[in-house]
Amino acid sequence: MKAERLARLFVIGLFLGLPLAILIARWLPPGSASEQTVEMHAKMAESGGWTPSDLTAEVGEPLHFRLTSDDVVHGFAIGQSDWPAVDVNPGEVTEATITFEKPGKYVFYCTRWCGPGHWRMRGVIEVSGRTAAEQEIEQPLYAVLGLDIDAPHLAAVIPLQRPSARRGASLGIPIPKMFQDPEYLRRHSPAETWSILRADTFTQELNDDQVWDLVALAWQNSTSSAALALGQQLYTQNCAACHGEAGSGEGVMATSISPEAQPTAESGHDHRPPANFTDPEMMLGASPALLQGKIIRGGMGSGMPYWGPIFTEEQTWALVDYLWTFQFDLY
Amino acid sequence: MSPHILPHLNKYRAWIVLALTGLLIALAPLPSRITTPTERHFRVEARSFEYHPAVLRANLGDRVTIELVPMDVVHGIYIDGYDLELHADPGQTEELIFIADRPGTFRFRCSVTCGALHPFMIGKLQVGPNSLLWRGAGLATLAALAGAWKLRR
Repeated sequence: MKAERLARLFVIGLFLGLPLAILIARWLPPGSASEQTVEMHAKMAESGGWTPSDLTAEVGEPLHFRLTSDDVVHGFAIGQSDWPAVDVNPGEVTEATITFEKPGKYVFYCTRWCGPGHWRMRGVIEVSGRTAAEQEIEQPLYAVLGLDIDAPHLAAVIPLQRPSARRGASLGIPIPKMFQDPEYLRRHSPAETWSILRADTFTQELNDDQVWDLVALAWQNSTSSAALALGQQLYTQNCAACHGEAGSGEGVMATSISPEAQPTAESGHDHRPPANFTDPEMMLGASPALLQGKIIRGGMGSGMPYWGPIFTEEQTWALVDYLWTFQFDLY
Repeated sequence: MSPHILPHLNKYRAWIVLALTGLLIALAPLPSRITTPTERHFRVEARSFEYHPAVLRANLGDRVTIELVPMDVVHGIYIDGYDLELHADPGQTEELIFIADRPGTFRFRCSVTCGALHPFMIGKLQVGPNSLLWRGAGLATLAALAGAWKLRR
């Protein structure tokens, strides 16, 4: 009789205890509380983009990602960081761990062309730190100069032939100190530099195109092969799809952002074609500060993405340096 | 052949002729046109969900260059039988160079999940003449003739 009672108590205890134990276990904090795990799903921008797209993190604490795609191949990278991009494939989980060293707002974005709204696939990670000393955000040069990005800045004079830095060097004329200062060159367009050089007395013997060669030489002196290589790499990865590999604005995506192709809200009524970097009137009238501003801010009625939160300042200047190779011959 | 078996064989003469013709059609070596290997360059435009051109023809031994130009999203190419893979983003044209050293017809497929109809994004690489088709057609004609002959008897 006693054994029977014990057995009944045991069965009742089991039935009540098990669900209770499970419920209690759910309330307990997970084992590794210090590491935050984020399960992130990627979808094409048209069907939702990243989920979740707003994250928070702490400085110095690793953020662990489990990334997967719900439709096509995507890529995952964080703007303004050296952390390498990873591919996010459907049916697979990509693991990645990132530790932020500085507080601030980081933008993560898609690195694989996944659809017409590829660049709209972005999200934000807000990283807070114990050192709450927010460093003052430096204004980009175009904002300091107060340049109007949307106004046309056309060159009044354009060269008859493509300016060449080598021909400029063979003239044997030293470039005035003013034009050797990279800060000066960033603030002024090649056309402005040309008119100052043209008006100067030491260029009286030269024809117009030789003065353009001098401008090309001044530009060449202000850049480096490392910057050009970086610029070219960034250009092919991020810009060539619309602006074309040859810079003529006839990239493979250019047709898909034309008004005939997408008159709907998907394109945001973007009617202008991508800029043609081989057009001397547009390019030679633009200062590097203006071009950098266009990269940072985007828009211009052409559906150009804003690259400000993605590229570092060094990267934007490298890109601008590379853009001049569509106008000037290096060697 | 001994005269004992001959009348026996005679009974099956039609069948033997038929079988021999069939074997001839299936196995006879074709008069091969001798081709010197050349360079072949294909610019393959890939868009969702098709390749253009979708049929690439080369001769045995040719050096084939496939330039993959994605026109909308990231696409790839995987050639069955050659075990070659390549993928490219729009704006970053990539090249695949190989020697067509295996005769036959091979499927190529998109190797990057590019959208809903990705599994149907296919094309084919044809190396050498497509003898399988002609041999198959020959055998089918033979079978039809044999059937007609059998019916008439």
